[in-house]
Amino acid sequence: MANSFDQTLDVKGAKCPMPLVKSRKAIADLTVGQVLKVVATDRGSVADFQGWAKTAKNVELVAQETEQEGGQDLYVHYLKRTS
Amino acid sequence: MTLIEGQTSIAEFTANELYARILNNEAIFILDVRNEDEFKRSPIEGHEHLTSVNIPYFEFLEDEDGSVARVPADREIMVVCAKEGSSQYVAELLAGHGYSARYLQGGFTSWGNFYDVRDVVNAAWGRIVQIARPARGDLSFAVISDGKMALIDPMRHTEIYLNLAAEAGATMTHLLDTHVHADHISGGPALATITGATYYVHAYDAIHPIDMLPATIAYTSLEDGQQFQVGQTTITVAWFPGHTLGQVNYRVDTPDGRSALFTGDGIFLRSFGRPDLGGKGEAWTPILYRSLTERLPKIVNDDTLILPAHFSTLDEGNAEGIFAAPYSEVRAHNDALKPRSEAEFTAYVLSHLPVFPPEYVEIKRVNIGLVEACDGKANELELGKNICALAG
Repeated sequence: MANSFDQTLDVKGAKCPMPLVKSRKAIADLTVGQVLKVVATDRGSVADFQGWAKTAKNVELVAQETEQEGGQDLYVHYLKRTS
Repeated sequence: MTLIEGQTSIAEFTANELYARILNNEAIFILDVRNEDEFKRSPIEGHEHLTSVNIPYFEFLEDEDGSVARVPADREIMVVCAKEGSSQYVAELLAGHGYSARYLQGGFTSWGNFYDVRDVVNAAWGRIVQIARPARGDLSFAVISDGKMALIDPMRHTEIYLNLAAEAGATMTHLLDTHVHADHISGGPALATITGATYYVHAYDAIHPIDMLPATIAYTSLEDGQQFQVGQTTITVAWFPGHTLGQVNYRVDTPDGRSALFTGDGIFLRSFGRPDLGGKGEAWTPILYRSLTERLPKIVNDDTLILPAHFSTLDEGNAEGIFAAPYSEVRAHNDALKPRSEAEFTAYVLSHLPVFPPEYVEIKRVNIGLVEACDGKANELELGKNICALAG
């Protein structure tokens, strides 16, 4: 896909709130302007990452995608550290 | 505050306890930590002493102290999220700040799938049992007499009905849907497969009104005036088109001379079934008018107990959570039955239709076997309270 990223975080199988807790931690390890690709299996992460990006001061949700992997839906989030 | 996965130091509460406290009209403080859209779509509702506040869990992550400060410290906090994990996280976080907090076991899914079972009538001839799904405002019923059981509008969690039959020592004989539902998945076809009882629905509803495709499920069609014997009771089919073309009411007559009418989505206690969910509101509204004004008075008397398939607010029920009223009361208090012309009724209905939930088209497909829904999909399709009613 066209979305570029600097780091990948695999939270497949993790249940709410862990995808978001771990993403938050991973974002802190990026430098400003870098993008984190988060791969989740929790469908609820789609709306939650949107809400979180609005709440968090240093995160921009660049894109969200749905992919298929072995019959399983993957929810992919691209998050940029903005400050 | 650190989170240890699987940690369970904080107490849970169950949907069962929550509902009991709601019915008791106890003071309850719900902290709903789902995202704003989910909260708005399906808040937990109760009576006037239930307070529900939405602070998404990620706000606690971003601004712990600021978010905690928005939660009252002088009472127990009941934390709710979609699937349990986030509410446990927030409850633990609140406990760390000295709060008394518990979280909902199983999350909102368990509240949405919680059933409440209680007798409406318990007499020498047998029982009428109400099987309610409070979060959805969905009601189903069992008529039990002499070891036989008929179910009206059973919902998809078949074990509830199988358990009821086992406890009552009764055999399911008739699975009676008042219509093909749009807001929830019927348990009728599945129960027919499990028990061998016959699943009945009107043939008009066995065609998807938007796809125009016929049902692939096994069903037996109903006719106006058809009768069934269930133990000592007689159940009579009364065609009541409007909400759907194949909507029927079922009147049960009992040996003590009393009667009850299972109205499905025909008339509710304080509203009536919207006529537009088949996508043909303009054509079906006059049909509904004639059912309400001409058909209904012919099949009830003042004492007939009206037992609908939905409620819109818990206030429609009594303190025991039973949603029933004699026809005389419904006629006096339900604006659906106030005198007005067909033109007035039609104009009112068509200008007051609630939002049309897009998933309702898909739920009807599931209910006649055009598509399948696994548990996860069914939970998503059924999220939130029914929007089948229109008042006024």
